[in-house]
Amino acid sequence: MNAVTSRTPGTPGTPGTPGTPGTPGTQSAPGRPGPPGRSGTPAGPVRSRLRLAPVYAALVALAAVAVVPFVWMLATSFKHGPDIYTKVPSLLPLDRRTGEWSPTLENYSYVLDISGFGQAFLNSLWVCLVLVPGKLLLDAFAAYAFARIPFPGRDRLFVVLLAGMMVPTITLLVPRVHVTQQLGMFDSPWGLIVPNLVSVLDVFLLRQFFRSLPAELEEAALIDGAGRMQIFWRIILPLSKPVLAVVTITSFIFHWNDLVWPLVVLNSPDLYTLPLALQQLTSQWAGRAYYIMAGASLAVVPVVIVLLVFQRRILAGIAFTGLKS
Amino acid sequence: MASPVPAARPTAAPDPGRRRRRPGTGRRDHLVGWLLVTPAVVYFAVFLLYPALSALYYSFTDWDLRSEANWVGLANYADLFTDDVKYPHFWKSVRVTLQYTLIAVPLTLGTALAQALLVNAVRRGSNVFRLLLFLPVVTAEAAVGAIWRWLYDPQYGLINSVLGLFGVPPQNWLNTPELVIPALAFIAAWQCGISMIIYLAGLKGIPASITEAATIDGAGPVQRFRKVVFPMLRPTTFYLLVTGVIAALQVFGLVYVIFSGGGGKGAAGGPEQSGLAYVLHLYLFAFRYDAMGAACAMSFILLVFIMIITAVQFRFVKQEAA
Repeated sequence: MNAVTSRTPGTPGTPGTPGTPGTPGTQSAPGRPGPPGRSGTPAGPVRSRLRLAPVYAALVALAAVAVVPFVWMLATSFKHGPDIYTKVPSLLPLDRRTGEWSPTLENYSYVLDISGFGQAFLNSLWVCLVLVPGKLLLDAFAAYAFARIPFPGRDRLFVVLLAGMMVPTITLLVPRVHVTQQLGMFDSPWGLIVPNLVSVLDVFLLRQFFRSLPAELEEAALIDGAGRMQIFWRIILPLSKPVLAVVTITSFIFHWNDLVWPLVVLNSPDLYTLPLALQQLTSQWAGRAYYIMAGASLAVVPVVIVLLVFQRRILAGIAFTGLKS
Repeated sequence: MASPVPAARPTAAPDPGRRRRRPGTGRRDHLVGWLLVTPAVVYFAVFLLYPALSALYYSFTDWDLRSEANWVGLANYADLFTDDVKYPHFWKSVRVTLQYTLIAVPLTLGTALAQALLVNAVRRGSNVFRLLLFLPVVTAEAAVGAIWRWLYDPQYGLINSVLGLFGVPPQNWLNTPELVIPALAFIAAWQCGISMIIYLAGLKGIPASITEAATIDGAGPVQRFRKVVFPMLRPTTFYLLVTGVIAALQVFGLVYVIFSGGGGKGAAGGPEQSGLAYVLHLYLFAFRYDAMGAACAMSFILLVFIMIITAVQFRFVKQEAA
């Protein structure tokens, strides 16, 4: 759990630390206010824990604000309909009269069968399974060429693409739907996939990474007679697993969650993705929160699992990219 | 640029004297390069460049999907700004969006900074807290809207009963015009995880020696934050401010979900249009009323506005740096 190597207060011998003269490699300098000693001194950890108690209290409070809505969502989704209407809301699926533990799966079976969430789940899965790898491949192709193959006009072309990245996509929503219509992909699964098949931002990120790889490997392979594509598959991609993972995971999360594009490009309910099905459910059954929360859980839980499994990569990736735009 | 030597051939020996003529600079190589970027370039042309140009063109027409588009010059722009019969809620949507931005962005950045400082201050469990605070970010906005509608429920919602513990009377959050924007901004702050992670990276970048020096000079935690930590985070704050404002001006999915339902076109945008975000207004004209020309004009107004805001923010920071 301690992967984050944060600064240790009072770590002795920090180069350039003023005011700790002549005590390199020993316990923390005497007489310094505040910072506790290392775990060697018995008073250290206790004092540090006392000092940190309010910090932990604040963290627990903030984490509760972050997490309780999910608990509330799950609890509601497992409640029998009438059990959600209680004066004192419960974070557990309890019977409203007896207060006994009484969860149910009937909300899930309702949304899966009757509200079409089963189909929507499969649609979302299918779109992501085609779109995410396809996008990764096309982005990596372009990124490799922009990073490594010095064809004429390359850098000017790249600058043009980057300029296009600056345009907020929502301002192009209307004309992009129109283009999708003209291509005959409106209200079809391809209309969800093709208009999202390249991300200039991902091309940019992958290019940055490819450029950081040592060129010698590639030159040696070229001299040995390897073609560009061989180099791409055998050398570049295997060396780029970390960045490929980040791009794959973030783009999966983005497209799994995306509401706006399916909303404007789909009409037929049997093509709906999960977020769109959820939006429809929310507007149709405004009063029946138990159905809506079951639907929301179906949309949220897979992504939370992805986050839990890949948290290191995702959080490290965010620190230099940002997820949204 | 093309090398006279068929360099990509396996037999071609590397020329040790001139690095430029190493293998992989031949014509065949150029061809491979072009082929590899072709999908991205075609995509760019079809789904970015052409839409941008056609949106600009259609913004000068009365295109409504049903009939041919007629050139109307600047009429769409002029009508949006002045005709409050045709577009009665245009300025309302501008005000709503600006208010939302002014409240949501500082609230989000403040929350993110507080979270980052706290996470950074502890070692044991910091990863767990970081993960929990990040959880709202990966949640689909359709789900966020659905969950918060239920949390804000005036009768059975969790928010009112928690506030009730502190003696706050129950509020009808999403049906009271004055409360709609604060309620939306609170959701935005709830989802501040990305900013928190970026702040955390900024905090890790502050050399320990500097804060330690301030400690030795007798600066307390508050002073250390005001005089050392916050100034050193200025580039991070600036980056988050620019991206946060740009994102807030485009807020759409969340308000769409929150205020869809309840039936009728009038319901879109919340009570008295108090949640009628600019892009929601744009969406309604494009996809409900088929006023494509006007919607394209709205798109361009937003685009230009975002560019101006960004330029002003950069200018501001340059002046400060000078």
